[in-house]
Amino acid sequence: MSNLWKILTTHKGNGWWNLPETPQSNTNPKNEGPISISWLKKLWNLLSHGGVDHAGPTFYTIVAVFLAIVTLLELWIYTVKTLGAWLNPLLFLLSALKFIGVVAFFMHLRFDHKYFTIIFTFCMILGISVFISLLLLWSFAGLKP
Amino acid sequence: MSQTIVDNHHTEEHITSTGLSNRKLLMWTFLGSDVMFFGAFIATYLVYRGKSLNGPYPNEILNIPITSISTFVLLMSSFAMVLALHYLNENRRGITQFWIWSVVVLGAIFMGFQVVEFTEFAIHGLTPRTNLFGTTFFILTGLHGGHVTIGIIWLAIMGYAHKKGALRSDNSEDLELAGLYWHFVDIVWIVIFTVIYLVSATDGPPPGIPSITH
Repeated sequence: MSNLWKILTTHKGNGWWNLPETPQSNTNPKNEGPISISWLKKLWNLLSHGGVDHAGPTFYTIVAVFLAIVTLLELWIYTVKTLGAWLNPLLFLLSALKFIGVVAFFMHLRFDHKYFTIIFTFCMILGISVFISLLLLWSFAGLKP
Repeated sequence: MSQTIVDNHHTEEHITSTGLSNRKLLMWTFLGSDVMFFGAFIATYLVYRGKSLNGPYPNEILNIPITSISTFVLLMSSFAMVLALHYLNENRRGITQFWIWSVVVLGAIFMGFQVVEFTEFAIHGLTPRTNLFGTTFFILTGLHGGHVTIGIIWLAIMGYAHKKGALRSDNSEDLELAGLYWHFVDIVWIVIFTVIYLVSATDGPPPGIPSITH
């Protein structure tokens, strides 16, 4: 019974829903990265351990502290009443920073193959296009919900 | 003979057309589709924003300080997740256990905050049936909560598998996939926190409609 459970559920058991594996011993391909400007690329590489292999706990701690600081900054900006029309763009900018921080470093997209970045970015663009289209439809076509 | 076949099967390396793990490719594709899924619900929330004809309105009911704490908890769970994977790859069993279960506990704390928030809203008269804000808010945050719950269960299974020795450094991709899912629910919450809580927190009734809370 336990053997059946193992066959069906474990990674090495090749359970019927498991797709073929790629050898884990393969090293991660060197990431080409999203930035082509040379000095910015150097800075980016310095910050992200050169895009080679995964970073270590110290680097992840720096990212976590950065995310915590940005969250605090969001809260502070939210309480500032004088920002007026700048409030929402600033909040979206900080939100985007956190989003990129998690996706690039915690999800290892920065250190992984560019295909993963392409897939995710394509879906993001598609998703955001649907999102914006829906908002524009209601704003300009005069549709009422 | 059969033992030989089994051994060969376990050591055989599958070649994929992309040279990448198919399972990881599948997970990223799934996450991409989930982006569109949540994008549709966030867009719906924004379309109906400020159009509720009766209260409670966001400015009367949203509790930003409490939600900020739960946001921080979810962010730290992502940090714990990335450390769990790192230490699993380094084959350090004790500390891997600690971080996997930390993710589970932090995820459960986040869900606790959501349960308290939903209960509080219901006490103040906001349910999915009350107004457009209630409908779109509960659907969006509820679906996110569902994702978090699935993640907690998945990671608890991973924690148990690691304890039993079924999850090791040589099959760490199993935890990596769970981790990708977990980080994804985190980034969705980053957007929800900004759009629903921070941006909409001052939303009151639409112009010309008095603030009457049922």
